[in-house]
Amino acid sequence: MGNESFYQEFEVFSRRTKTSPFQHQFSLLAPNEDIAIVMAQENFMRREPVADIWVVKRDNIRGLNQEERQMVERLDNKDYRLTKGYGYLRKKWRQYEQGMFDEKEILSWAGGQKK
Amino acid sequence: MTADVLLEKDLQAQFEERIARGDKIEADDWMPEEYRLALIKLISMHGISEIMGALPEKEWVPKAPTLYRKLGIMAKVQDEMGHGQLLLRVAEDLIKPLGKNREDLMQDLFAGRLKFHNVFHMATKSWGDAGLIGWLVDGAAIITQTNMLNASYAPYARALQRICAEEVFHAQHGEAIILALAEGTPEQKEMVQDALNRWWEALLFFFGPPSSDTTGSTKQDITIKYKIRINTNEELRQGFLSKYVPRIKSIGLTIPDPTLRFDEETEKWIYQQPNWENFKKIQRNEGPKSQERLKLRRTSYDDNAWVREALSARIG
Repeated sequence: MGNESFYQEFEVFSRRTKTSPFQHQFSLLAPNEDIAIVMAQENFMRREPVADIWVVKRDNIRGLNQEERQMVERLDNKDYRLTKGYGYLRKKWRQYEQGMFDEKEILSWAGGQKK
Repeated sequence: MTADVLLEKDLQAQFEERIARGDKIEADDWMPEEYRLALIKLISMHGISEIMGALPEKEWVPKAPTLYRKLGIMAKVQDEMGHGQLLLRVAEDLIKPLGKNREDLMQDLFAGRLKFHNVFHMATKSWGDAGLIGWLVDGAAIITQTNMLNASYAPYARALQRICAEEVFHAQHGEAIILALAEGTPEQKEMVQDALNRWWEALLFFFGPPSSDTTGSTKQDITIKYKIRINTNEELRQGFLSKYVPRIKSIGLTIPDPTLRFDEETEKWIYQQPNWENFKKIQRNEGPKSQERLKLRRTSYDDNAWVREALSARIG
């Protein structure tokens, strides 16, 4: 009892809106999950909007170590996976007098089609 | 040379190469002892200073002139405690491999091994002081903290990003109090001038000594070497003067240093050096309010021991 069980490490995640992804905020020390939730609100959500909170004991997280982190560094050779690799289409469509369905255009369809 | 020493040398070279190319270091990365110790000293002091800094300000919550002002300063005090929590977490992850935790940091504070920032050893005598702290002490703190926003130690940089975002509110909160007083009655104007007269030395102390020749020690060289911060103490102080002297004068205040001037040739502010002996006294926890505030913190820690104990209990 004492120090170790009072000061347990929790990682805090929250989402700003109901449709946004959980984002890591920071860590905190708390004696249990319930107090961790209260502390998370007090420490990290005094102003910004918040729709939901997770607290996770740090022991339960498997992260990458220094060596493993090098493994996830991206090489800049994946144009074929990205819209960047298809940018030339804009010019092509222009020849056919058509606009490009780019990300901005496609996502704007969330507003719905004409009824 | 033994294999261990060789390995250590490789790791050191690799680390220095990472720092040189602007890479960010994480808590569980290998780091030289010198880097770890510099970070621990800097960040534990920063963290505990936020918490000790809440003490002179919280005195003004019940005494603030209006309900709106009470709410404003209360929100700020709460932020300072929040910043303390963030920074202590960063420090705790650094001391963990040394087998230490928050309890050790608190005990270090009480024993005088862990210092809190020199500016929080001063008395706050009037509402003008409360405003001046918000405006100029927070202004100085913003200059110091933004200087480390790109620190090589990533957890510290992440904490500072959160902190600096809230400091913008603190700066404006202070300006609001000061401008209301500066535009007020002669008595209110006098209150701000009086606060400035008493706080000027503390504001010059804020950034620390120009070099170790002044006070015997400074950690600025090592923090710059490892890209934890960009500028020297003196460069930060010069930056503060450039930003704030014109504003202080513009609202009709007089800076209590008749020798203060900007030298166009060297592009530097010339000013009367504060008495660095007073600074050294504060460093030994012998400032005007050092012992009183430590006692307040110790008392609240002791009084709340039963809460920690009750919440630590495991059932079954």
